[in-house]
Amino acid sequence: MDQLTNVLTAISHPTRRAIIWQLAHGPARFLDVAKPFDTALNAVSKHLKLLERAGLIERRKQGREVYISFRGEPLREVAGWVHEYERFWNERLDQFEHYFKGKKKKEKR
Amino acid sequence: MENSKKTLEFKFERTIPAPPGEVFDAWLNPKIPGNPWNAAEKFILDPKVDGLFYWTLKGTSHYGRFTEIERPDRIQHTWMSPKTLGQESIVTLTFKKQGEDTLMTLVHSDLPDHELARGHEKGWNYFLDIFPGQFGNGSRKEK
Repeated sequence: MDQLTNVLTAISHPTRRAIIWQLAHGPARFLDVAKPFDTALNAVSKHLKLLERAGLIERRKQGREVYISFRGEPLREVAGWVHEYERFWNERLDQFEHYFKGKKKKEKR
Repeated sequence: MENSKKTLEFKFERTIPAPPGEVFDAWLNPKIPGNPWNAAEKFILDPKVDGLFYWTLKGTSHYGRFTEIERPDRIQHTWMSPKTLGQESIVTLTFKKQGEDTLMTLVHSDLPDHELARGHEKGWNYFLDIFPGQFGNGSRKEK
């Protein structure tokens, strides 16, 4: 798989996005990363592997501890891949659709 | 002058819970959230064939002329902004009845595929908002 696909796969899962969010505030040890999630350590480990494959995290040994830190650089490619008008129209159309859905709900009441 | 011949096209689809006529009218009504004119700080809108529109948001102006108005099926207009590099891009909307709903399709075509027209800045800001302080000297200009 190419790097862009790896990055998009990595950020496609809510748990992995939450891990990124957590690590964006500073490096953490594996057990600290896993703590907020109600999933098996094995599952967290798999998520970290996918993030590592995408280059979004790296592990560094500090004394006896291994610290995991976030790397933002691969997201540059994703950012460039999203065209402004792609974002613009999606935002406008979501709002338009939301307006009609809200209107329909009110009519049903 | 360097004008890229390569163009981009984006297609979007939404199912709107209303009949095509109502959806068509709402798209051209600046009071309805979601259409381009609704977000504008200032706008001029003359939705008829050869009618013009203008709208501006955060100092960026957009211009266009309507080329097709066929209620309730189809709207087509040109679209010019700094991101189209002075060239006319084309926005085509179709409204198809789908049971009680409308399948609305928007195609934005003939967009110049040029570095300036790509959303680096906006994309970057999106990630910068999510991950503050993690991108070093990113290319953020807004705010």
